[in-house]
Amino acid sequence: MTFILESGYSFWNPLVWIILFLVMMVLIYFFRRQGQEKYKKDTEQAQIFLCGAEVPAPGERHIRVGNIYWGFFETLKEYYNQILKLHTGIINDYVAWFVAVTAITAVILLMAGLGK
Amino acid sequence: MSLKSFKRALWVYHLNTGSCNGCDIEILAVLTPRYDVERFGIKLVGSPRHADVLLATGPVARSMEESVRRIYAQTPDPKVVMVVGNCGTEGDVFHEAYSLVGPIDQIIPVDVYVPGCPPRPEAIIHGVVMAWVKLEKAAKQPAHRANSLAGGEVA
Repeated sequence: MTFILESGYSFWNPLVWIILFLVMMVLIYFFRRQGQEKYKKDTEQAQIFLCGAEVPAPGERHIRVGNIYWGFFETLKEYYNQILKLHTGIINDYVAWFVAVTAITAVILLMAGLGK
Repeated sequence: MSLKSFKRALWVYHLNTGSCNGCDIEILAVLTPRYDVERFGIKLVGSPRHADVLLATGPVARSMEESVRRIYAQTPDPKVVMVVGNCGTEGDVFHEAYSLVGPIDQIIPVDVYVPGCPPRPEAIIHGVVMAWVKLEKAAKQPAHRANSLAGGEVA
């Protein structure tokens, strides 16, 4: 029984990958063993090094992905401030906006239709 | 002098506690081709967690005190602290300045002092060798330092 899957241009053999994986694991284990063994666990020696600054709690360490849009937010800050005021979280307000926008759109379409 | 028990390259973390950079430039000179201490396996590393020697310069600005303590605590044992320059050794012209809490041995225990303003590269290399010898002793006796203010040696 052969495990070789040939495509005409290449082949794929799971045994090769398993052997490669095992070799990689041995190498990782070897390099890991070269590390410092005498550090004291559960002390500052095992803490993250942040140039000597205090390391924030895990929950506060995360940088939000939205931070990459900082430039946009900063430039459009005034616009967002106005828009955010409209987002009250009250469903009646949202329905009122929907009705108002629908009514204005309908009026515009009606006037455009009458003009033809 | 034989170095037997500490059988690996000596990795040094350079900690600037508020130096004018005079000593730091001399430390860099030690790494240049003229002195080239890396051929002996002595090299600067970017984290105290990888270091055997904590090499400190500067008179310890008040804002750096906590960082100095934390970096010392983060350095794995056995470790040696080495001070380069007059400022870190005894304060020099900044002695008793309002913004300082040093010299460094007021904050963390120091093993080797290299006085000078700035010290010559040869003096720094001599200090590193003394630090290496201390590490040899520390490697033989892992618990010989209990974070006490141990007496240091002058290079």
